Amino acid sequence: MGKKRKHSELTVTESKKKDEIASERPKRTLMGWKDKVGEKETDSPVFRNKEKVLVTCSRRIIYRYRHLMLNVVSLLPHCKKDNKVESKESKGAALNELVELKNCSSCLFFECRKQKDLYLWMAKCPNGPSVKFLVNAVHTMEELKLTGNHLKGSRPILTFSSNFDRDPHWKLLKELILQIFGTPKEHRKSKPYHDNVFVFSIVDDHIWFRNYQINVPHNETDKVDRGGLDKMTLVEVGPRFCLNPIKMFGGSFGGPTLYENPFYISPNQIRALEKRKKAGKYAKKVKAKTRRKMHELSNPLEPDEFADLWKE
Amino acid sequence: MIPQVINLWIPRLLVSSKGKQMGTTTGFRREEGTSFASLELKTINPILAEMAVLKQQPTLFNGDTVDRVDVNGEPSESESEPESESEDEDVKLSEPSKTSINNKDGLLEKLADISWPENVEWVHKLSIDIDQEQAVDVNDDLARELAFYTQALEGTRQAFEKLQSMGLPFLRPPDYYAEMVKTDAHMEKVKGRLLVEKKKIEEAEERRKARDAKKIAKEVQSQKLKERAKQKKEDIESVKKWRKQRQQSGFAGGDKDGEMPFSFDDGKVFERSNKKRPGVAPGDRSGGKAGFRGGKAGFRGGMGKKGGDKMRKDREHKNSKFGFGGRKGLKKQNTSETTNDLRGYNKGNTGNRKRKR
Repeated sequence: MGKKRKHSELTVTESKKKDEIASERPKRTLMGWKDKVGEKETDSPVFRNKEKVLVTCSRRIIYRYRHLMLNVVSLLPHCKKDNKVESKESKGAALNELVELKNCSSCLFFECRKQKDLYLWMAKCPNGPSVKFLVNAVHTMEELKLTGNHLKGSRPILTFSSNFDRDPHWKLLKELILQIFGTPKEHRKSKPYHDNVFVFSIVDDHIWFRNYQINVPHNETDKVDRGGLDKMTLVEVGPRFCLNPIKMFGGSFGGPTLYENPFYISPNQIRALEKRKKAGKYAKKVKAKTRRKMHELSNPLEPDEFADLWKE
Repeated sequence: MIPQVINLWIPRLLVSSKGKQMGTTTGFRREEGTSFASLELKTINPILAEMAVLKQQPTLFNGDTVDRVDVNGEPSESESEPESESEDEDVKLSEPSKTSINNKDGLLEKLADISWPENVEWVHKLSIDIDQEQAVDVNDDLARELAFYTQALEGTRQAFEKLQSMGLPFLRPPDYYAEMVKTDAHMEKVKGRLLVEKKKIEEAEERRKARDAKKIAKEVQSQKLKERAKQKKEDIESVKKWRKQRQQSGFAGGDKDGEMPFSFDDGKVFERSNKKRPGVAPGDRSGGKAGFRGGKAGFRGGMGKKGGDKMRKDREHKNSKFGFGGRKGLKKQNTSETTNDLRGYNKGNTGNRKRKR
């Protein structure tokens, strides 16, 4: 018995030794054989765009903006549309939770206030920056003047105007837009062909969005016809909108304010000012009258030579 | 595929009806810096305010011009300080906009946080940056849309060149049928609308052409009539002259020597006139609907017609019988020309033999 134990101990030690020797064999990994001796640093894991966007809106959103939201949903195959959120839940914490729940990495939240104004939140969750925009000049895809059409889920070509590189806040916005509106490469709902182009351009400190369908004469799938690039035409597909950045925050739906638009006036203020302008009409009239009187008093007219001409 | 059929429409730049909305807000925003100041003062007390305005106007103007020069006509307020609407701070209206937050370092930090690694291939991003050469006027719809269009065109050109050099398929094959972003029903509506518009344009063109043609035709017609009248006058005049000449010369010479008043140089040969009833003067009104032949035909065919038609026929009938002085009667039928006229006989003996030839 004692001998057996000794034997087993011996075998244990022997096997251990064998293991040590064996571990010097080159490791077999998914990327191929990796030599232990001349171990090279493997390349960083291949980049995969795993962006997922959650698209929601607030309650009491009107039809035009709801259609805009649905259009955006159809444009982005990597998005998830969710139910309307209650007004109480449109504060930061609840939305962040919702995004986490749906396992998304960013969020587009359409908030409609007073059934007139549409605000768009673009946020990177969980701790990314977020931006609040005021949306103007909305034209949806259903308008019959926008006649183009493209594949659903095709990866768009994103074009930015060069003034996105001028200021840091524009740079940040460009990165956000690139990540949210660009369809990931091997997404399961994406189509492999590129037949539409998004235009984001900054004019008058607003971001204008346009979506065009590309028509180019071609016979093969990987080559344009000779001279075809010059015959390329674009037809607008829609939707169309214009974004006015209001504020940019460091956190998702909240956090320290990183940027505030100095030229932004809220639509409420605009409406109030217009009303006040109208209200001042009568006051202006009265003022003008008094001013005239003062002027007349201070500059008396010379006596008219011909005043008594026709008196009899 | 339907989309390709519709694309006969050259990219007409769409003038958005709502573009004006944008225009007005920005337009309002621009003027706001100047007018708001004056508004604030005047609402308090008209006369006092007016005195104040008179005094302060020089400074206000200074402030406003400063605004215009420095801040490009920016509006007076920003969201951060809505309380600064008191009268004393009119001159400072440009400043609240300058106190807005712009944490450049924070922004760049966040940018570094979220951006993708540097060595990401372009295929993932698919982004192109286009230089915007000229500042685009926001309120000019056409110029603005043109700028966007050229940006998109330039961008796709560059992108396609890159994609082509990569060698991957990126263009849609013609037999690739997949779900499109707009439904087929919607595209049918679009097509219908385009066709309607095209039709409208064509009709307008046709109408315009017809109007022009009518004008020209009318002119030509009046010319022709004038010509004819002139010719007629000339002929009559020349006959008169010839007669006078003959009278004067005392009917000397034979007819053959006499100058023929009619010049046949224009090639018109004396033709048999179209009169079917020789011997009857031109002013004779017999032979219309109420004539011998007309009466018979009308009698047979006139049964079974509706009232309105019949009334019209009756009117026409009566007009030809009694209008303009009435008929001359069946007086002259057998003249020297008609004795040798055998036109009617060749067609056989159908119809009334008593019919006028």
